[in-house]
Formats: sequence, C-alpha cells, structure tokens
Amino acid sequence: MKRKTDISPQEMTDRLQSGTLSRRQFQQMLAGAGIAMVATPVLSPSALAAPADQGTYFTWGGYDIPELFAPYIEQHGEAPNFAAFGGSEEGLTKLMGGYVVDVAHPCNAVLPRWVASGLLQPFDLSQLSNWDDVIPALKNLEGSVHDGGTYFAPMDWGQTSITYREDLFDLQGAEESWGMLWDERYAGQIGVIASAGDTWWCATIFAGVDFTEMTTDENFDKVAALLRQQRPLVRLYTDDVTTLEQALASGELVAAMTWNSSPVDLKRQDVPVRWANPKEGALTWVCGAVMHKDAPNPERAHDIIDSLISVDTGRFLIDEYGYGHSNSKSFDEVSEERLAELGLTRNPSEMLDAGKFQIPLDEEFTSRMNGEFEQIKAGF
Amino acid sequence: MSEISYIQRPNRPLHVYAFGYIAFLYIPVLFLPLFSFNDSIYFAFPIEEFTTEWYRQMFEHQAMHAALANSLKVGAVASVLATVLGVFGAKAVTRYRIPGKKSLIFVIMLPLVVPGILLGVALLLMLSRLGITLSLYTVTMGHVLICTPFAMATLIPRFEGFDRAMEEASADLGANAWSTFWRVTLPMVLPGVVASLLLCFTISFDEFIIAFMLTGTDPTLPIFMYSQLRFPARLPPTVALGSIIIFVSFVVLCFSLWLRRYGVEESASDGVRP
Amino acid sequence: MTQTHDTLRGRLYAFFLRSEPVRGFALLSPTLLIMLAGMCVPFVILVAMSFWTQHVFEFDTTLSLTNYNEIVDKPMYRVLLTRSLAISGACTVATVLLAYPMAYYVAFHVHRHKMVWIVLMTLPFWSSYLLRVFAWKIILGYNGAINASFMGLGWLEKPLEFLLYSPTAVVITLTHAWAAFAILPIYVSLEKIDRSLLEAATDLGDGPVKRFIGVTLPLSLPGVIAASLLIFIPTVGDFVTPALVGGPDGAMIANLIQVQFARVNNWPMGAALSLAMMVIIAAISLLYIWTARRFTEYGR
Repeated sequence: MKRKTDISPQEMTDRLQSGTLSRRQFQQMLAGAGIAMVATPVLSPSALAAPADQGTYFTWGGYDIPELFAPYIEQHGEAPNFAAFGGSEEGLTKLMGGYVVDVAHPCNAVLPRWVASGLLQPFDLSQLSNWDDVIPALKNLEGSVHDGGTYFAPMDWGQTSITYREDLFDLQGAEESWGMLWDERYAGQIGVIASAGDTWWCATIFAGVDFTEMTTDENFDKVAALLRQQRPLVRLYTDDVTTLEQALASGELVAAMTWNSSPVDLKRQDVPVRWANPKEGALTWVCGAVMHKDAPNPERAHDIIDSLISVDTGRFLIDEYGYGHSNSKSFDEVSEERLAELGLTRNPSEMLDAGKFQIPLDEEFTSRMNGEFEQIKAGF
Repeated sequence: MSEISYIQRPNRPLHVYAFGYIAFLYIPVLFLPLFSFNDSIYFAFPIEEFTTEWYRQMFEHQAMHAALANSLKVGAVASVLATVLGVFGAKAVTRYRIPGKKSLIFVIMLPLVVPGILLGVALLLMLSRLGITLSLYTVTMGHVLICTPFAMATLIPRFEGFDRAMEEASADLGANAWSTFWRVTLPMVLPGVVASLLLCFTISFDEFIIAFMLTGTDPTLPIFMYSQLRFPARLPPTVALGSIIIFVSFVVLCFSLWLRRYGVEESASDGVRP
Repeated sequence: MTQTHDTLRGRLYAFFLRSEPVRGFALLSPTLLIMLAGMCVPFVILVAMSFWTQHVFEFDTTLSLTNYNEIVDKPMYRVLLTRSLAISGACTVATVLLAYPMAYYVAFHVHRHKMVWIVLMTLPFWSSYLLRVFAWKIILGYNGAINASFMGLGWLEKPLEFLLYSPTAVVITLTHAWAAFAILPIYVSLEKIDRSLLEAATDLGDGPVKRFIGVTLPLSLPGVIAASLLIFIPTVGDFVTPALVGGPDGAMIANLIQVQFARVNNWPMGAALSLAMMVIIAAISLLYIWTARRFTEYGR
C-alpha cells in the first residue's frame, strides 16, 4: 500500500531541507493531513476517555473528582469515567435523549420524575456493603422505593442557607433568620441564588408557608410578592458560587444565600464569615445515586455506589465541603471541633429534623415558578 | 513623497492616544497571567503571595485536558471543512458567471449577520426535531456554518487576485481540471487557504454561544471554562490554562506572520502578487 | 471527439462543460447546499415552533399567536429588548468612536511596519472571549484594579459600585471585546482613500478639520458602517457578558432566550423571542444602512 508520496515526518523535514520534496508531494501530504483531521473524531469517538471497562458516573459539575472514589480506585486501579451536568433537568433531558451511563446523581426533589421516566433499575442491595450504615431517615424519601425495589442511594445532603460577614452584618442581637436577606439596611449588599429551585423555596420558608401548600395560587402570590420586595435590595442574582464567594470576601456583599461549601471555602481563606442557622429552618436537600436500566457495567455500577456511600467519601465531603453524608459513621471520622466549625453535629438526624426538606413538585408548577422568578429578577 | 509633509505630518495627541488605546486593549488581557500566579483563590487586589500551584493542578486536571482536546478536534475539523467549502465557493463566484450570484453569496454570508444565539437556537430545534443527540459533531456542524462565510471572505480576494490566464494556460497545455486545480490554482491560493484555516480555527476554538446550545456531554474548552467559573477552587487552574493559551496563540500568530512575510517575499519574487 | 457527442450522455456532458453557469453552480453547490441546509431548514423550524405552545413536556402544535401576544403584552420582554438594543447601541458607538482615531493613526501616521501595528491591535483578541470578560470582572470589581488603585491614591473613600454588575459594566466590557471588529474595517476603508484627493483638498485651501469632514470622513463611511453592523448585530444576542458582569439591571434579551431553553423550559417562547429579536435587529440595521447611504450621497 505504501505509495511514493507516503513520507514520514522525519523524512519530510529532511527532504524539505534538502529541497528534494516536490511541491506536489508536499500538497498531497497537506491534503492527507486534512483528511486525517477530518476523520479523527470518526475513528476515535472517545480517544481521550478512560478505558471502557470502568463504569460511568453522570454527576453535577464539581462532583466529578476522584477523591470521592477512594474504595473504588483501590479495587479497580482508577476512578470511574465522569460526565457532568449543570442541573438535574439537563441531566434527565440527556438521559431521555438516549445517553447511557452506569450511575447518575439526581436530588430528592426530582427523584419521582427520574424514577417515572423508566430509565432506572433497582439496586441489588447485597452488593452494597455500606448500605446498612446509611442513615435510616434518608432511605425512605419519596420515590426511593418503588414496587419493592430500591432505586436511590442517598449520598450527600446539605442545606441552602445564609453566609454572612460577622464583621459587617450587624444582627443587633436578633436571631439568625431568613429576614437577613430582606434587611433594608443592607440594600445593594445582598446576594441571592439565581435559580428558583433554591430561592423560591427559601422565600417559601420565610413566608411561613408549608412546602405541601406551596402550589396553591394564594401561596404562589405570597412568595412572589416577597421576592419582588427583595429585588431592589439584591446586588447579585447568580448561580455561580465563585461570584458569591468573591463578593462576600471583598465585602461587596454582607449576606448571601449559599450552599454549605461557601462558608467552608471562605473560612479557609480567613474571611470572617458565619453560616447562619435561620430560625425558620434552612432548606435541606438530599442527593444520591441511581442506576441506569441499561447500565453497561452493573457490577461496577454497584461499586461506584458503594464507594459513594463509604466512610472515606463521607469524611472527604464533610471535611472539604462541609456537606452532610449519608453514612452515619462518616461523622465519627471528623473531630468534634471541626464539625462545630462546619456547623454540623455528630448526630446528623438532629440537623435533618431541624431543616426543611425539599419535596418533589409537579412539572407544571415548576415551570410556572421558574417563569415567574425570571420576571421578578428582571424587575417585574 | 510630498504629501506626507502636510497631510501626514506627525500628530502628537493622536500618537499619545494610540498608545493609550493599545494599553486599553492589553491591560485586561494581561491581568489573567498576573492572577494565574496569585496565591489566593479569590481574584482581588492586593495580591499577597505568588504561587505556581495552579499550573501544577492544571497539568493534572484530566477533564480540562479532555475539553482542550475536544476543542482542538472541533476546531481542526470545522476549519478544514469550512475552508474546503470556502475554496469551492470562492472559485465558483470568482470564475463563473452565475445568475443571481449576489443573492447566492448573501445566503452563504448570512451567518455573519445573524446573532449566534439565534443560529444556536435554530440548530438546536432542528436537531431535536430530527432526534439527533447533541455531541461534538453537532458543535462542529454549527462551527462549520459560522466559519464558512469567513473562509469565503478570506479566499475570494485571493482568487480575484491572481491571473486566470495561468489556469487557462494549464488547461491549454492538456492538464485536466483536477490537475490544473492541484498544480496551478491551489499553490496560488495557498496563503489564503492557510489564512482561512487559521481564522476558522480561532473562531471555532473560542466560540461559546453556539457551542453552549449544541454541546452534548463532551464540553469544548470555552464551555468547560464557563462551568469552572462556578467553582472557586477550580477557577485558578482554568485561568492558568487561559494564560498558556494566550501565550501559545501569541507565539503562533507571530510565527504565522513571520511565515507570511517570508511568503510575501517569496511570492513577490515570483511575480504572482504585487 | 465528435463521435461521443452523438450520444445523449455525450451531449449533456458537452452542455455541462460549455455552460458556464452550470459549471459555476456545480462548483458552488456543496457550499450553497450546506449553508441552505444549515441555515434555512433550522430557520423554518424556528419560525414554525414560535407559533406553537409548550405544555409541560409536550409541544402543542396548533398554530397560535400566544407567544407573540405575550411578548407584546408583558412589559418585561419589551424592556429587556429595548435595554439590549440600548446597550449594544452604546457599545457600538463607543467602540467605533474609540477605534476610529486608532485606525486613522495607523492609516495616516504610521509609515513603516504598519503590519506590526495591525497585529498589535488584533493580538489581544486571540485570547479567550470568556476569560477577557472575566478579566473585566477583576478590573471593575469592588476591590478590583480601578477601585483598589483609586482608593490607594486617596481619590476615593469607598469603592465605586456602579462599575460592576451594571449596564455600564456590560458596555465597557463589550467595547473592549469587540474593538478589533471596528479597527480593521475602518482601517481598510481609510487605507483605500486616494491620497491625491486629500492633497487636492489641501491645495484648494481646506484646513485639516474641513478636509477631514469633507473628504476623509465620507470616504471612510463604508468602513464605519461595516464596523457598526459587525458589532451591533452579534452584541444584541450576547448572553455571556451580561451574565458575568451585568447584575440584575444589566440582563439582556439573550439571557431570557437562553433560560427558555434551560430552566423555564418553554422552547416555543424562546423561538418567538429569538425571532422578535432578529426582526428588530434587521429593521434597525436596514434603517441604519439606508440613512448612512443617504448621508454619504448628500455629502458628495
């Protein structure tokens, strides 16, 4: 097959230097290189992906890190393959579009919809060595158990609450409350998450509306009115944790709605912030692992899940990010002082009881809520 | 050169302005390399300590490498395809009398005057109606669409610029169309082809809006960077990579300029280009 | 040769070879077909979908004007559209005004190494758009470069807050990000001006100002028009810059379009909004070109 125009790169440079390479040959090589480039993705659709025998974990951007897989890596030599989504909607849409993974990472509020999509399969609990250590309160969330099968392994849980600057936000002796984000003294210094999936819920808590009642028209209007009232005070609506943290660090914001990881990050950078425990209760969510019905590698899928609910992973999540973990033993691995610093306690059920659990909502309400919140953010 | 004496006499304020403007263009870009050595994960003044930690993290960041590779692949394929389409198109519109040529060129140039978001949205709708899953192929397709007008615009002057008598001579000497194209046309337009490849590659490599709409599970580099902006601890390595890209593209650009100068001198001596 | 021409195939072949338009079309067709398939088909679907409505996860494909009525009725859409046009307009004017003297300088006052200057001006645009926008966050931020240095110099007591997360921030950032698109076309049109015209004007006793207004400016207008459109059209549809530096009052129409495809999940509404945006942009651009042409003709 070797034709006379097939020239190795080394040969090419030599011949270019000596001037024996004809223009014609050079052009043919250029054309060849062009075809090779065009063909590259065809020939190697995932040339850079990790070896195909590892399971694939489809998760939130930011959770796609090997540190969460110490037991898995020990067993299989390397981390699973990662694919990331930016929101659970996006994740589900991609799966419904035919994207196949082994394990995915939705949160409890969307769980029933994920299960109803028919894309998941129940676990073989005997393959999950850590299952017995999972906090019982987290095992029976709506949607986790269906027709006697377990579809959801809770992994991380956390809260949406307020991070505020101890030195700049004066509570004046009052209790920490969601009202801090509605405090007119700090107009233009308040940051709020841009997604209704957090902010609408927090406003619902502040309005004193029970989550089971939040879909009524009256309560919808009540919450919308509160958010409109907050709009002029808000400097920033953003989904972007970096922006919120930077603004808190610089003092541009004195209080912001954040997730658990922000106060941890900020304290690590010696910014004097506090993670509020609002008297009305913080918004609490649980995310965890589900298994795709066509998981190409069910055994590895179980190993991924077992790794996610292991004590090693738990210790890392708690210590590095300040999130809660589903394995009750994980908390024993972290010192009392560190837990206090993170605003956590040895007894996670206490915290889970104090928080307000997100509940699944129907799709129609969700779009209505999202649409309304976009309007509010735009100032209407 | 008498005109210089009174029309183009030195103008001091304008001179100062020019340097000010260059500073305005450069300073923001130079902040990135500066902050890529900042010890804190927060980008704020004053910078207290410097570190090379982010560069180390960048070299270990697998997902970032994958995104970079995706962008390189998409950019390479899109620029080659767009340039090939551009060569066909440019040759057709410069060499043949085609009825309705102006409106045909307008159709091809349309992406230049359509906002990216509109094109991205429209392509997304089409793909979802056709049931095509989003992937790097769909991004590449979108990029070919926006790059082709640039390729045409770069190549048309090149085709116009050389004497078609050369092609005719080649045909008269018995060469077939293919060999005329290969041996006469292509060498003449080669600088244009290289320029088009470079331009298309750059456009694709940096394109965000269409890629944002059409990316599947494999992100291109800009999409990946955008997702990293959200995680404080992930941002500094991203900025480190950005700094390296700036540096590399400066080097590539200078190199291509040097090449171009060399090319101009060479072709000027050939008498092909004035 | 003549024998092959007797067959039908031969005749067709001969026709093909002889007819210039046919050969031209044949050569143009790959490009044209791909652009048609890639532009027109999606556009038709976009138009069709804008008349549909979204019901949770399904589309209701009966044609209706619901989306357009909503765009007209709800003030939010109107305000965001006008704001986007205003921001892009301001950015276009600022970019062209700032770039013109620069292009003029290189065209008329640089005599050696012009290429170096052009490269110098375009070099920053080879870096990532996203990171350039991000860089402006560092500069305009609460304790960013500007505030930190002004406070360090004692010119400011307290950081200027309007610098970041405001429409101003969007205009500044876009003005920087799109500079190359203004410099190059203006430079090219200035460079094309026949120097003897300027000389003639001088010989007729025109001063520098009169010469500029009478000769240079009208002749460089095509470059200015091209630059304005090259900047105005894409910036109206930008959503990265407003998302990163705009704050609540700097959000633009493209941000709203984008969320229709993501969070809000109302694709037909997103389609209708994109179309409404495109129609308005096209109308403004045509009006602008028409006015500018009239102005040039009048100038002559």
